[in-house]
Amino acid sequence: MILRLSNRACVLSGSARLKSTLSTFFDEMGKAGIVLKSASTGIFENLALEDWIHDRVDLQNRSMLLLWRNSPVVVIGRHQNPWQECNLPLMRRLGIPLARRRSGGGTVFHDFGNINMTFFTSKKKYDRHRNLKVVTRALKALRPDLDVAASDRFDILLNGHYKISGTAAKLGRTSAYHHCTLLCSVDRSILPSVLKSNTSEVIKSSATPSVPSPVKNLLDVDPTLDSNTIMDAIASQYSNEFGFDSPVIKVDPTHEGLMPGIHKMAQDLQTWEWIYGRTPKFSVCSSIVVEDVTIKLDMDIKNGAVEQCAMEIPENWLPSEMVNEFTSTLNGSKYCPNETAVLVAAFMRTVSMTADVAVKIHRLCAGVVSVM
Amino acid sequence: MFGLCIIGRIVCGNVLVVVEMFNLLSQTSQRSAPFCFSRAVKSVKMAMCAALRCVSAALPLLTRPAPIWTCQNSLRPNILRTLYTSSRLSGALKFTDKHEWVRVDGTVGTVGISNFAQEALGDVVYCGLPEVGTKLEQMEEFGALESVKAASELYSPLNGEVTEINTNLTDNPGLVNKACYEDGWLIKMTIEKPAELDELMDEAAYEKFIKSLDS
Repeated sequence: MILRLSNRACVLSGSARLKSTLSTFFDEMGKAGIVLKSASTGIFENLALEDWIHDRVDLQNRSMLLLWRNSPVVVIGRHQNPWQECNLPLMRRLGIPLARRRSGGGTVFHDFGNINMTFFTSKKKYDRHRNLKVVTRALKALRPDLDVAASDRFDILLNGHYKISGTAAKLGRTSAYHHCTLLCSVDRSILPSVLKSNTSEVIKSSATPSVPSPVKNLLDVDPTLDSNTIMDAIASQYSNEFGFDSPVIKVDPTHEGLMPGIHKMAQDLQTWEWIYGRTPKFSVCSSIVVEDVTIKLDMDIKNGAVEQCAMEIPENWLPSEMVNEFTSTLNGSKYCPNETAVLVAAFMRTVSMTADVAVKIHRLCAGVVSVM
Repeated sequence: MFGLCIIGRIVCGNVLVVVEMFNLLSQTSQRSAPFCFSRAVKSVKMAMCAALRCVSAALPLLTRPAPIWTCQNSLRPNILRTLYTSSRLSGALKFTDKHEWVRVDGTVGTVGISNFAQEALGDVVYCGLPEVGTKLEQMEEFGALESVKAASELYSPLNGEVTEINTNLTDNPGLVNKACYEDGWLIKMTIEKPAELDELMDEAAYEKFIKSLDS
């Protein structure tokens, strides 16, 4: 299938057709339902693939299911605050990236033990309950004794209690997508700690919050249930449920020729402006302790940048002019530990200060960065 | 003059409009004689066009401010100018096929989503709106409303620049559901190309449109 697609791509790009090649391929297939599997495990490439299909494929008379998995990553919803939802310092230490998706909903952790499913339909045919039935019926077809059911929050619960799947969705001009996760064999030693913020108590925000739930892996109840088996079952149940005769096609989301514009979509999803900058306005109100001195820190963050920064510091510890200069250095900067460190280093080079004050500024900076 | 008034009455049974036409005619007849007739004809023509628009827009479906066609003395001096741009200044709602509405007030358009849209969305939990100063193109995505149903994209009905966003929605996103045509407005924007308004649906056309969607 991949080879055929590549050959088609060569031919079609030569004829300078405006319509993209993967989209035309689907049109020419003439199938009402298609199952796709992504060949990539990169979150940004896969999110871009979702965007691309949603924007460029004609979904009025055709539905699609995309199955995908990613290497470890935390994914937040469109209107969420990452500082509130996950432990960013821990993620940095573990090398786990952060992504923001375009659909709503809450924060999830992905790794190879998690299956993502995206159901693409026209807006009219958008039906999350029906999509989740595909999943629960597929699992029951594999293991009839499995107690799995969708809740009214569109979660899938195992044994009526443990969340094994969460849902999010996006409605566009004429089409929609509903995607959900499925915990098969996710690393549960990491999941709870990365999804617990280290600074949520100091943040005041109107961002959409996650609803934390106890989770379990399907593998915990049945060690023979692996991701590949489950994906195959879901693909065939999809065809059964909707009466499709769906082929399963593997797609490489890095293939720009096949999907023009997909590379830029993936790039856009990786910008600081999208991932952090789209955080709704929030304020941080924290007390940090530096050298036994309690410092009150107040910051307003808009578009991921410090709009306003104020500190209450005892006058005898640091003179107020120094404090004011320090806080104005931070104004307008990204709410980001690296950027803050760089700015403070420059500040320390350009403003004359005694060694004693320099040490204090350095420690103050560390305190401020600890809430980022 | 009398003949023209009879035509006006037949065109629309709206008594108020006929009264206004009489007022117009009496106004013009007070002006200097050589210019009287052509100006009178022009005034009546404009009044009739406006009357037709008034009738077509007068649907008792939505609560909105009273239309300008009331017989009040204060309006008379401005009536000629008003007639030219009546459909754009009347405060009538115009709709897109994406269920957004625009209400024009001078050179600024207020934008929101229709009742049909808010019902379809369910309870709105977050409004993702653009910054003031953002330049928008018609049909360009300018934000999203997140509800229990999904994150739903918002599309600009017009070309223009965002002048104001409804900050009440930050703490009270439910206003979009409770009062989608009033307090639940989303953004205000300048109207770069007023002709775009004419391409949008008026209330009657929009009602027809949503009925056709159910089929």
